[in-house]
This record gives sequence, C-alpha cells and structure tokens, in this order.
Amino acid sequence: MANESAYQATKNEFNTNGGQILLYYIDDVLYGIEIQYINEIISVMPITVVPRVPEFIKGVINIRGKVVPVISVRNKINKPEIPYNDRTSIIIVEIEDLTVGLIVDSVREMAEVLPTDTCSAPDYKMVNENQYIKSIIDSGGEIKQLLDIHKLILE
Amino acid sequence: MSRFESGMESMIDMYIYETTSLLEQLDEIMMRTETNNEFGEEDINEIFRIMHTIKGSSAMMGLENMSVLAHRIEDMFFIIREENPVIDEKKTLFQLIFDSSDLLKAEIDMLQDDDSEPTDFSDQITKIEKFVEYLKKCVNGEGGAAPAAEGEAAEAAPEAADEAKPAEAAQPEGSSGFCKVRVYFEDNCEMENLRALIIVNKIKEYCTELKTVPDNIENDPSTAKDIIDNGFLIMFKSHVDDYKVVLSEIEGAVNVKSYEIEEEPSELAAPATEKAAEPAAEAPKPAAAAPTVEAPAVEASKPAAAPAPKPQPTASQTNEQINKKIAQQKNAGGHANKGKQSLISVNLNKLDQLQDMVGEIVISEAMVTSNPDLKGLKLDNFQKAARELRKLTDELQDIVMSVRMVPLSGVFNKMTRIVRDMKVKLNKDVDLVFEGEETEVDKSVIDNLNDPIMHMVRNSVDHGIEATAEERIAAGKPAKGTVTLAAYSSSGEVIIVVSDDGGGIDCQRVLEKARENGLLTKPEEEYTEKEIFNMVMLPGFSTNKEVTEYSGRGVGMDVVRQGIEKIGGTVSVDSKAGEGTNFIIKIPLSLAIIDGIEVSVGKSIFTIPTNAIKKFIKLKKNQLLHDTSHKEIIKDGNKLYPLIRLNQYYGIQDSLDNVYEGVVVLVESDGRYACILVDELIGEQQVVVKPFSPMFNRYNIKQQGMAGCTILGDGSITIILEIGSIIENNG
Repeated sequence: MANESAYQATKNEFNTNGGQILLYYIDDVLYGIEIQYINEIISVMPITVVPRVPEFIKGVINIRGKVVPVISVRNKINKPEIPYNDRTSIIIVEIEDLTVGLIVDSVREMAEVLPTDTCSAPDYKMVNENQYIKSIIDSGGEIKQLLDIHKLILE
Repeated sequence: MSRFESGMESMIDMYIYETTSLLEQLDEIMMRTETNNEFGEEDINEIFRIMHTIKGSSAMMGLENMSVLAHRIEDMFFIIREENPVIDEKKTLFQLIFDSSDLLKAEIDMLQDDDSEPTDFSDQITKIEKFVEYLKKCVNGEGGAAPAAEGEAAEAAPEAADEAKPAEAAQPEGSSGFCKVRVYFEDNCEMENLRALIIVNKIKEYCTELKTVPDNIENDPSTAKDIIDNGFLIMFKSHVDDYKVVLSEIEGAVNVKSYEIEEEPSELAAPATEKAAEPAAEAPKPAAAAPTVEAPAVEASKPAAAPAPKPQPTASQTNEQINKKIAQQKNAGGHANKGKQSLISVNLNKLDQLQDMVGEIVISEAMVTSNPDLKGLKLDNFQKAARELRKLTDELQDIVMSVRMVPLSGVFNKMTRIVRDMKVKLNKDVDLVFEGEETEVDKSVIDNLNDPIMHMVRNSVDHGIEATAEERIAAGKPAKGTVTLAAYSSSGEVIIVVSDDGGGIDCQRVLEKARENGLLTKPEEEYTEKEIFNMVMLPGFSTNKEVTEYSGRGVGMDVVRQGIEKIGGTVSVDSKAGEGTNFIIKIPLSLAIIDGIEVSVGKSIFTIPTNAIKKFIKLKKNQLLHDTSHKEIIKDGNKLYPLIRLNQYYGIQDSLDNVYEGVVVLVESDGRYACILVDELIGEQQVVVKPFSPMFNRYNIKQQGMAGCTILGDGSITIILEIGSIIENNG
C-alpha cells in the first residue's frame, strides 16, 4: 500500500536524518513524538465517554466544533490509569486524515534529535510491549523513547 | 485549463453538467428502446435533439472530436428519422450508441484533467459510417428500388454528413421558389458564424426547407470571414403565413446590421410542395404498399436529376406531416423554455456553505436562548422573541434541507446501464426492478451512493443470480433472474435494499473462505448466521473462486461498507439459501440536523432522535413485568414492550436502577418497539449531527447503537443514539 511505504520512508528518514520531537512524560519515563504530526497541545478537558469501545479510547472531546477522539497513551503501553491533574495534557495529532488526542501525564519541551543519537528498536521475535517503540534516543544523558504513533493510533 | 481558450473557463462547468445529463438521458432512452426493441418516433427525435445539442455545445467549446462524433450520430439518426428504414441489425445499432455514449462520457471525465489530450474517435466514427451505409441499403432494399440506386446510396453515404450539399445539387439555386435573404452583421461583432447559426436555429421551425451559404457555419469558424465579406445567404421555403415571421425573426436577431431580400418567394411556394408530394403518393411502384415508399418514389418522379435526395426529402412529405413536425418542434421548444424559467443550477459548494452556516445559526440560537446566564430570570418578552427566532430558524433549516434533496432515481437509472452491459457479457438473463426510486436523499449522500450501489448491483448479478438458467429452473424459479433496487424512508432514515432472487449465501463456504484468509476471530461454531453473512463485507473477502471482470477480487463489498460508513450509514446482509440475498443499506436522510431529546444516564448525556420517540412513561405499580426468562417487560395500556436499561447496556456507573424513579422512553424503529430506561429528561434541542471519527469504524459503533455526536450549546458533546440498532441488539 502506498501509505505503508510512505510510512516506512518516514520511519527510516527519522533514523537517518533526525528531527524535532516533543518530549512528554508517562510516570517518570520520557517519551517523544515527531513534531510533524502535532497540531496543538491542550490541557485536559471534560471527555465524553463513548461506550462499547476498547478501554484505551477514553471518549471524545470538542475542539472548536470538531469532535476528536482521545486515546490514553498510558493504557496503550500497559500502565495503570491515574487521575488527571493540572499537568495532564492532550497532544492533538493528525495522521492520515485522522485527528486524535493523546492523553499524557505532562509535556516537557521540544528537542532536536541528531541521527547519531538514535538507535532502532530491538528485533523481538515475540510481540510484546515494545511493539510501539520506533526508536530509542540517547542524548544529554537521558533516554527517550520515540513511540510509533502510526501503530499507536491505527492498530 | 489548458484545453480551453481563456474566457471559456466559466462555461466548462456548465458544459460538463449539461452534456453529462444529456448523455444520461440518452442512456435512459436507449435502455428503454432496447427493452422494447424498437424506436418510437419521439425517442428518435429526442436522441436527435440530444446529439444536436452536444454537437453544438462541443463545437462551441472547441472540442472538435466530440462535436464530430455527435454529428455523425446525429446524421445517422437523421436517416433513421427521415427514412424510417427497417433495421435488422438493431443490436449493432444499440451497441454503437452505447459505445459512443461511453466514449463521450469518458472524454468528459478527461476534460476535468488539465493535460489530457483529445481522444481520437475515428474508429468509432468509421463504425458509425459503416452502419450508415448499411442503413442506406436497408432503405433502398425496403423500397424495392433499382439496384443502381443502391450503389448511389453507398456513394452518397460519406457525404451524408453534409446535409445541405446533395440537396443543393438536386435543386439548382433560384429555380425552386426559395426565398433568398442576405444578412449582414454589424462590423466587429465577431463570431459571425455562430451568430448566423443563432438565426438559423430561430427560423428553422418556420421553414420547410432551409439552406445557407456558407453552409458549414456550425463547425467551421473560418466561415466567419466569408460571412463578413459576402454576407450570410439564407435560402428558405416556408408556408405563406410563416414567411413574414421568418423575416421578422431575421430582422430582430442580435447584431444584424442589415438584410436584403434577393428573391421573393413565388406565391407558388407552398402549392409547389404539395405538387411534389402528389406524384409521390400516387406513384404506382411495385412495392407501393410499404409505408416508407416516399423516398424511392421521389426518385421515380425526378429521374436522374436527383442522385441522392435522401438528406432533404421534405419535398416529398405531405403538408400534414410537415405540420406535425412543426408542431412537435414547437412543443419541444416550449418545453425547454419552461424548464429554463423555473430552474437554476447552483454550485454545490455554495449550498454546502449555506448549510454549514445554518448549522452554526442553530447552535448559536441554542447558545443564546438556553444561555446559563438566563437561568432563574423571568423574561416574558425575551422568551416570546426567542420562540419567534426558533420558529424562523426551523423554517430556514427546512428550506435549506429541501433544496438539497435529490431523488434516488438518478443513481438507480445508472444501474440499468450496468446491468445491461453485464447481461451481454455474462450471458445471464436478469431483470432490474426499481421500487420507490422517487425517494429523496440529501445531495451529499447521493454523491457517495453511486459506487456502493454499483458494487452491490454488480455483485448481485454476478454472484447472486445463478450462473445458468437451467440451474434456476431446476430450483423451481423462473429462468429470468430479478435484481430489485428498492428505496423507502423510515423514521429519518432512507433504506435502500439491493436484493436478488439467486442462490443465497452459502454459510459453509463463507466460513471456509474466512478460515483460509485468517479472518476468523473466534471459534467457528460461535458465529451466528448473521455474523457469517456480514463477513462478506470484510476487506479481502471473496467467495468466488474465479476473478471475473466484474467482481471477485475481494475489494467490492469492503468498498461498499466503507463508502456507506463514510456517509454515516450502515450495511447489513440477509440471505436465505436458495431464495436470494438482500443487502440493506440504511443511510441518514440528511447528514446535517435532527431534532433530539437529551436524556441523562448517570453522568452521561445522550440524544435520542425525536422521530424515534413515541412517548414518555412515568411507570406506576404493576407496569413492570417479567417474562419466563426473567427479561423485563413494560406494560403500557394493553401492549407489552421489552425494557432496555441503557445503563446496563452501556455499562454506565452511578445511575438509577429503580424503574419507578427513572423515565421510560417508548421508542420505535422500523416497526419495532421497545422501552428505554433513562435517569432524567434534560430538554429538547435541534442538533447538528457530527459523524464519529473514522477511527471508531472498526469497532462497529453504529451497530452498538450510536449514530454520531453532537455539540450542545455549552460546548459539551453528547452521543446520538441509533434506536434501530439498540432494539436489534436487545431483543
């Protein structure tokens, strides 16, 4: 599929060229997301629950008249839910015409990633938790996990 | 667009729209005539008119290839109309027209692409010319004319395109009671040939014969120069009464500087026609019994002098026929005028904008009139004004909606063509039956219905109907298969059913296939029949062993489902082995605005479409009963309804469990009733339906009873319930 190959291309491109990522926390682990997907970051707002969908879909929110589904990144990476607080943020991303909100514990800053800092995810034979990790970034004495938002949202 | 001269752009949309609808009309006529296997006089006239219009407008747009093809077809129908040949090869004729129509349609599609090159239609034109030759033979053979005439006709065939020439040859100028008028146009008015054409079109209906010099004004812009230099010579014959009308038409035409009458008609003009007709009628030819004897008879009356009189046989017609023709043309003209006066076509984008705007107005109206600041205030005048405002916005909405409504017949009619082509290719005998094609749906919905319905109809004809008539007869069914396209509206939804009376879906084969393709998600024996049927619409699924031209690649039904879901609808399959298969599409009447009642369940708020609600019941003692399997039943009057507890169905916490404290809503969908228990009624509001994000599609959210969301005046989102699915899932 055309989408698939384009997606592979961007995946490899990041590992070879680096780029800007937004850093955010789940618990005290740092994660990253590429800037080109991000529309905006908002603080958490009332969420309308949609029944009978998987647990990671928390519901829908109203962003200037548009109904946007929100996903709990916590749930996706198998961490227990915690109550929202004033640091809780929703990162609104747009990917293949889908607009989706990602709920994270808090966001930190934008960071520039050099290609030399990236290392690609290990090749597990078994499918496990690491399935969302696209790349690990080791810079400034910190480890950041770049999650694959294609997989996070579309699978 | 590079294919058009500058200044033409504004007309392209109009041209494409017009030509497309004309071609659709053509298809319709052809389908009908093919079924009856004969051309009615009106059909021929209609086709003639369609081709004439396409020819003219294509020439105007500079699309010469299309114009020429249309011209050839027009010529062919001219022969059919005037000579009325007995055609044995009707099939070839139908195929010829269908192919040409397809070619023209494809060309129009290409116009929308900037860089496309004009297609070469010469193959098709050659085919048509060949058929014209054949037609000529038919005419002559039928009339029993001398063999020499046949040769002449064949010779004349290539020239048939040029209607005027042979006629001119037959009747030397100035000797035949023609009135000659030379028209001069204003200097620098430009496009003289087209202006001349306008005059010709205007006076055509009053003339029995009409010739012009130069004659090829319609297709040859270079004639403009000729017209500037020498004026435009019109030679016509008409009835004495109409003669003055023609002159005044010429006089009144736009940009005409002056005109001079070079030759008055002899008073004999009209009688002369009659005289010419007389010998024709009396001609005691061997095959005189045939009704189409006119043309050969004229040949007999004017031996040798008339090598090819066919294109202009008017002289041989009786006055009665001429009058009839004039009347017909007048009627046609009058009809067209009527249409123009009361209809306009509007760009869909503008309508979309208008609708969005109205949607916003509805929301802001709710924001103003149910503003939290007003709570507890007693504002009589305000409330009165607010009511008035609501009434007006309601009406505004209704009008905007009705403007956008289009009958489904357009979509349905396109299917006749597809079925017809498939019948020929697959050699199956199938009838396509319509029901309720006048049902109206929002334009935005219609546009998204074409592809899904086409796939379904193809699927029904290809897979649904048994491969051979023998199979059908063996199963005790008529040899001819039937595919039915039915539409009707039911509580705010339009339901379209594509059904066939074929073999039905084979559950075992579906399961096998699903296993092969790894589509099963639970043990095979746990699948219900309905679930199995719906597997047909999974991506990559096809039970057909071979890929045919029409289906079998396993994309079709998946596309159907996606297409329908895109417009907020659902598709379900129902099938009985040996009896046939129904595909049921449910689509919202309009995507835009509905009336709804907000209800609360725990902390959640839902909107129930008002048209689904029959009544609200505050339960009294003894109204809650249990059936033998301990399901709850509500007794209302002497009727019993199943009770659906929304909190249990959707797993909502902290809501009322006591039916006597909550409110019971009696709802109906598709003739099925149920009671839904909610905590509280909040209010009534018109809401703008926002479809769910496509992300939810894979969770079958529609089948779970959720039709979409809406944003309330305070910015919060509620979910609109889909009552039909809720009833379905609970009983």
